[in-house]
Amino acid sequence: MSKILIGRYVAGDSIIYRMDPRGKLLATILFILFVFLANNPVSYVIVTIFSFVAVAATKLKPKIFWDGVKPLIWLILFTSFLQLFFTVGGTVYWQWTIFALSSYGITNAVFIFIRFTVIIFISTVMTVTTKPLEIADAIEWLLKPLKIVRVPVDKIALVMSIALRFVPTLFDETLKIMNAQRSRGADFNNGGLITRAKAITPLLVPLFINSLETAIDLSTAMESRGYRGDQGRTKFRVLRWSYLDLINLAYFILLLILLLVFRTH
Amino acid sequence: MATDSIIKIKNVSFSYPESDKPAIDNISFEVERGSWTSIIGHNGSGKSTIIRLINGLLVPDEKENSLIEVDGIKLNDDTVWDIRDKVGVVFQNPDNQFVGATVADDVAFGLENRGVPHEQMVKTVAEAIKAVGMSEYANSEPANLSGGQKQRVAIAGILAIRPKIIVLDEATSMLDPEGRDKILKIVRQMKDEYNLTVISITHDIDEANMADQVLVMNDGKLITEGSTKTVFSQVELLKKLGLDVPFFEQIKAKLLNDSMKIPASVDSEKELINFLCQLNSKM
Repeated sequence: MSKILIGRYVAGDSIIYRMDPRGKLLATILFILFVFLANNPVSYVIVTIFSFVAVAATKLKPKIFWDGVKPLIWLILFTSFLQLFFTVGGTVYWQWTIFALSSYGITNAVFIFIRFTVIIFISTVMTVTTKPLEIADAIEWLLKPLKIVRVPVDKIALVMSIALRFVPTLFDETLKIMNAQRSRGADFNNGGLITRAKAITPLLVPLFINSLETAIDLSTAMESRGYRGDQGRTKFRVLRWSYLDLINLAYFILLLILLLVFRTH
Repeated sequence: MATDSIIKIKNVSFSYPESDKPAIDNISFEVERGSWTSIIGHNGSGKSTIIRLINGLLVPDEKENSLIEVDGIKLNDDTVWDIRDKVGVVFQNPDNQFVGATVADDVAFGLENRGVPHEQMVKTVAEAIKAVGMSEYANSEPANLSGGQKQRVAIAGILAIRPKIIVLDEATSMLDPEGRDKILKIVRQMKDEYNLTVISITHDIDEANMADQVLVMNDGKLITEGSTKTVFSQVELLKKLGLDVPFFEQIKAKLLNDSMKIPASVDSEKELINFLCQLNSKM
């Protein structure tokens, strides 16, 4: 089976898995906003504790969350590094031309580091415990108000779910084409930048044509099954709020209150 | 045929805009309610085009006396959706007709389009999935299913909308023999249970042999039609069109070639076996 995991959903079972995706999506967005309210050590400790509780509640291996941070680790370190050496103020411990190591710099670097990591943690909690399809449903729900300004939300939702459904199919297709081209001598892994870019052509062209043919077949099948736009369509998949989602949102509102209380002005 | 015809096609022609030769050339036939009809013919003979004409995916050429009628409804712009309610098509490629992200979603797609209320949809979908023996896969994603399973889901999606006619547009051509047999068995059961009319477009001669009626197409023309026995006994004609004949007809033709006297009344595999056994015991 395909190794690709869009949004990297990891199967598991804990209360977070049973929560409504809309609640989780909202909570994630809110959390990212709330984090910027923290501006002193106490509030950062609170934010850290809150996100670690959320991570622990997934009952997943810590390695998964480390995998979430890993691709961004250089960006995080680089940003923290800049904060560390280019912030002026407070007690200066060490200075050389424009580089300075000050107490402000150290706290700022630590703050930035924490901010980055908790945001990644919380969004990983979201993507890891929610199926891509559920995320699409949640996005559709969030977009619903846009119907007033005539944004075709239902069509966008259908497009999203079809796109998600075809990601693994296209991925398998890509592997098949790659293997077929390899079996007649294509080399995808060697050579300089230009050679490699050229090697992709025998992969991309058939892939495009296949996708277009699939689209035509799919639209024929959809039409013959009675699809005629949004009019009069009902939905098979429905999301239901439960008490867990109240807990979820209450949890983040508690975080908001605590951050407002401990925020220094 | 004075009997109850569910599909009537009279003098229908169709040309694709980019070609100068008609894909369907003045075809007329009728399909009896509750029967199983096979359409055979080599690639590009216009078999699939016929189906797309019947459910309005393609519009036939303007002609005065042409007519497509399904279950008493004449096909035109206003009735095309009513006709699609009556005709369910299973297409060739199992991957390219799977709309939903999971099995249940896909089966529900046709019902969603018809605005069926949610509670009823849940019930109907579960029944349809059960009917094709896919209950344990209800929440599986298409990437985790085999081709045969996907085709079973496609059949479930059609059963859910309760059509009168089920069309297999080379639905088994991408499957292995086992998957094919399973699909055909399910379709046969469904046909008996709901009194469906089945039209199967196929290259597989044994599948065609399951039918009551066979239509043979060549270059957009209807060459011959009739019961499986009358059509498949025309071995020479079929060979000339590049088509296969059922295994039993091949054996019979070979034996006749070897100047063995087989009475004309022998026209099924069973009878041939009986005849050969009797012949053996006499010697």
